Amino acid sequence: MSSARRVAITGIGLVTPAGLDVASTWARLKSAQSCAGPISLFDASGFSTRIAAEVPNSQDLPEIDDRKLMKYASRAHRFAIAAADQAIADAGIRPTTADADRWACSVGAGMMTVAHEEIAMVQAGAARDGEFNPTQLIDVPVAKDVMAFSRSLSTAGAALLLRRFGIRGYASTVHTACASGGQAVGTAMRLIRRGLADRVLTGGFDSMISPVGLSGFCLLSAVSPDNDNPQRASRPFDATRNGFVLGEGAGFLVLEDWQTAVNRGARIYAELAGDGNSLSSYRITDSHPSGDGPIQAMRRAIQDAGATIADFNYLNAHGTSTPMNDRSECAAVNAVFGDGKSNVAVSSTKSVMGHLIAAAGAVEAAVCALAIHEGTMPPNANLQQLDPDCDVNIIRDAPLVRPIHMALSNSLGFGGSNSCLAFRHPELTNEIMAAGY
Amino acid sequence: MKSWQQGTDMTSDFTNHAANHTANKIVITGTGAICGAGQSPAEMVARLVKGETAVAHIQNWDASSSPCQVAAEVVDYNGGKLLGDRKLLKLVRRSDVFGIYAGEQAIAQAGLNAWRAALPESEALNYADQTGCYVGSGGGAFEVNYDYFPLMAETGGSLSEFGRELPNMVNPMWLLRSLPNNVLCHVSIRNQLKGVNGCITHHTTSGLLAVIEGAWAIREKQADRVISIAHDAPIEPQTVLYLHQVGLLASDALLPFDAQHNGCVLGEGAGAFVLESEASAQERGAVLLGEYLGGGDAVEGESLFDVRADGDGEIRAIKLALKDAGLTPSDIGMIVAHGNGTPGSDESEAVALVNIFGESMPPVTSSKWAIGHLFGASGMVDMTFGLECARQKIVPGIANFTQLAPGCKGLNVSSENREPTSNIVMILARGFAGTNAAVILRANP
Repeated sequence: MSSARRVAITGIGLVTPAGLDVASTWARLKSAQSCAGPISLFDASGFSTRIAAEVPNSQDLPEIDDRKLMKYASRAHRFAIAAADQAIADAGIRPTTADADRWACSVGAGMMTVAHEEIAMVQAGAARDGEFNPTQLIDVPVAKDVMAFSRSLSTAGAALLLRRFGIRGYASTVHTACASGGQAVGTAMRLIRRGLADRVLTGGFDSMISPVGLSGFCLLSAVSPDNDNPQRASRPFDATRNGFVLGEGAGFLVLEDWQTAVNRGARIYAELAGDGNSLSSYRITDSHPSGDGPIQAMRRAIQDAGATIADFNYLNAHGTSTPMNDRSECAAVNAVFGDGKSNVAVSSTKSVMGHLIAAAGAVEAAVCALAIHEGTMPPNANLQQLDPDCDVNIIRDAPLVRPIHMALSNSLGFGGSNSCLAFRHPELTNEIMAAGY
Repeated sequence: MKSWQQGTDMTSDFTNHAANHTANKIVITGTGAICGAGQSPAEMVARLVKGETAVAHIQNWDASSSPCQVAAEVVDYNGGKLLGDRKLLKLVRRSDVFGIYAGEQAIAQAGLNAWRAALPESEALNYADQTGCYVGSGGGAFEVNYDYFPLMAETGGSLSEFGRELPNMVNPMWLLRSLPNNVLCHVSIRNQLKGVNGCITHHTTSGLLAVIEGAWAIREKQADRVISIAHDAPIEPQTVLYLHQVGLLASDALLPFDAQHNGCVLGEGAGAFVLESEASAQERGAVLLGEYLGGGDAVEGESLFDVRADGDGEIRAIKLALKDAGLTPSDIGMIVAHGNGTPGSDESEAVALVNIFGESMPPVTSSKWAIGHLFGASGMVDMTFGLECARQKIVPGIANFTQLAPGCKGLNVSSENREPTSNIVMILARGFAGTNAAVILRANP
């Protein structure tokens, strides 16, 4: 027996633009049909970008049997609770009084915590001419609404989940922009390895499809302005790509100590085998054209998993469809895999569901686990004209049905935080463990 | 396989934990702080030892109609001067300025940049890869959104006009200035850090978690050294109003554990540590200010705001920290308690400390009466404060303390300065969502 604790993924929950649950999301990702369309959540007609990938028919999410709790939940929190409910049900286990202090929770939370309408109400009441006057705030109802305050806290999502499931161990909320979800899941894995928890509910949630949220990206010209052809807008690695498509949603996983999961006969999707994490320390929005930063994250994940590059045959790329990211990420893939790069099939599922920002890394970790479980790699949609600077082995248009030994998932954030997670097929893990490692 | 990792035997709990990682000491070679009471840990301790509070009438905005008009502000704030870089000021916010300032202070004290500059290029690259950064960030402030007020006023509720006028009226760098992970980004760029990292936005426990995560990264040999920072600037009109509404704010003074305690007062600032493996510090010939011995974190999983009256989460966090450090309660020489001045938190904290320490409780103090509650930064500033106090062998009294609250019976607090009973200090932080964390440090003279 190995002395190191290994980590099993035993539950998955997804609420994404591609579907309100795992089955619908997974089917849509395999179909290579983009979820982008005109923004319906607000009047975006004046914005330079008027398209996004919204969670469709979110009113059809199952009703949460805790009405009081839901008053404290924002749109992103509702996605988080729905996805976490799915993951817990899927794992078939939940915290009990006896073991709740051995359950932990690690989440990546979005940065936009105040709803646009609430910002507008404060403006209308205390900044009528645009200049904020604190003395008028006392007369603005929303500025005294305790529920609005609760929703605005960076811990609000974690607080709702902790209470809903009665988790009593280690708890953390992280935000490293687009790397948030990956770093939250990596932290969760380490909590189990460190012996600080036996099971962790981990994931990410975000919704920035609001006037202020979209504004931030429009001002930076980070989002694709292809308003007339939303289906084609997210085209990672294509020579004509011109920005990402903003998505929203949540992805949650139940992670368990391997042996505990095996002992209870749990269905194990994959081993979460490695976590690599680095800083680009280059520029706030870019990573180095050479791939410096992502290179270290990928190498660390591979090493942390006790693997070599030859073990990997799938990479779920960060692949945002911005000119800068895709070029730099492909340079990193080339540097890490070298001559072996043709053995690693690559896709960015952002081509279908857009960029879920703080949720992206967690959702894409779930995608890797599903891919391993089913032996199917989801395709990269919309690649017509490969950018010569993105010369990697991209899965075009249709899923690639092939057993996956090991997979990697990249999440590279504004601010220079890079996360890479490594996943292993459970049968391979069993073989390695049987061999005494 | 790595020796610190626990076996798969679930019954062993944490027992083999401490013994395994005492072989790899984690030392503290730099520390930095800024808050209402000063711009370094030493300044802060000097002010508190003299019994001086930084809580005063709010100057930064017109608080005349606010239900709470006092706070511990950083007075004479000059962002450009604190950063030593006026251009950077356009890319960051007040809270970030504090974080970058405290981080740079700790890095300078540790002598990291001088050391890196003297390395041959290949070693300098390896040094960068082996140097990590973990930041606790306040995140989620309201004022970041106020940048949109002129645009909203101009376009009068028409979102299509809002979209059209956007590029003309809002700073194109708005999103970047608003990132909760700005301090992590800029400290890493300025100091060429390329290692493991995290940005924790978990309210009051963020700072302790930034140190706990950083220490684990060193234990696991993911990094040879880590900069841990936490920063926050919560003294905003809207935050003050909400906290008053929730019933957490005092009207004029924060009185930890006192019979008259009736709420919290806000503060602002940042704290930072440079944590290193003993081998890294020895190689550099660094001065060892102290040592990280262990940490623990536990939530209660019940309420969105309140903590349990029986101290449950804090008791478990302290027990986890003691186990992680391989210590017993009698080893602890002083405690920097959370002590936020709200009856619910103070009384449950007293219950927790009596539960762990009983009648042989070491001297307990709290800094919040003088520097306010810094939310995301409070635990980190308290760690720099606790370390400096223990190095100077002094437990600053809670100067405005007069009579112990009946619900805090058995708590060893005083208005007088005292001596710690050993060089080991425990720091506690608690926050919304029933979060509790504890960190234990050893101070070198």
